[in-house]
Amino acid sequence: MTSSDHHSEVVELHVPARPEYLQLVRTVVGAAASTDPALGPDRVADLRLAVSEAATNAIEAHGTSGIEDRVVIRCNVGAGRIELEVTDRGAGFDPADVPDLPSVESAERLDHESGLGLSLMRQLADETVIEAGESGTAVRLIIKFGEGSAGT
Amino acid sequence: MQLECHRSHRGSWTVITVLGDLDLAGAPRLRSEVVEVVAGGRHHVVLDLTAVDFVDSAGLGTVVGALRRTRSHDGDLRVVCPEPRLRRVFELCDLDRVFELHTDVDGAVDAPVVTR
Repeated sequence: MTSSDHHSEVVELHVPARPEYLQLVRTVVGAAASTDPALGPDRVADLRLAVSEAATNAIEAHGTSGIEDRVVIRCNVGAGRIELEVTDRGAGFDPADVPDLPSVESAERLDHESGLGLSLMRQLADETVIEAGESGTAVRLIIKFGEGSAGT
Repeated sequence: MQLECHRSHRGSWTVITVLGDLDLAGAPRLRSEVVEVVAGGRHHVVLDLTAVDFVDSAGLGTVVGALRRTRSHDGDLRVVCPEPRLRRVFELCDLDRVFELHTDVDGAVDAPVVTR
């Protein structure tokens, strides 16, 4: 079968907002991404890490808000790009509320065990878009790969 | 795979060997292991992450917490992390400048003491 140049293939996953499901999320997204041979193993690893960070935030948002709904992970594998969307129904998340961490040289850095997820996602993805509203947050991560390699 | 921790001793060092995925699901298991070790009077800890398949920021948070815990008792924490993919996560978070990352347990135990 020849690769479908401009088709996109969508995998959608609805998981209970529990940390025990993170591994499943990484496995499914990693496997979906691996269907495109142009995406190398290092980028698949980046994608697994990025989706784990986004899903962790979503699961924690449901936990703190006491929401029973499932978290939705949508993975769209297209030509030369993967678009990931993680949607939760937690209280609106404002990226501006994430504090800057103390410098790694300072002893106070050790007082912070969290706050790295957003920075990681921004480093791993080519584009990170966060849409936060009253009814929840959608984090969209776009990873581009193999510029011009799809079908050319 | 659910996170597993195994404990052994090498002189004054307690080696915690971690297996599985170090994420939000696995972090509490490691945190309680470190708390138990430090509460038991062992303040020099080697975290062996050789058999860890995956680490993310929630997992690294626990490693940061473990370092804080040992240092608050004048101890120290050394990390064994030979896998480049895992080391990259430390680097992306700038934490390779906070931790000594070793390639094996022998290297971690035998490394000279760095004065801070």
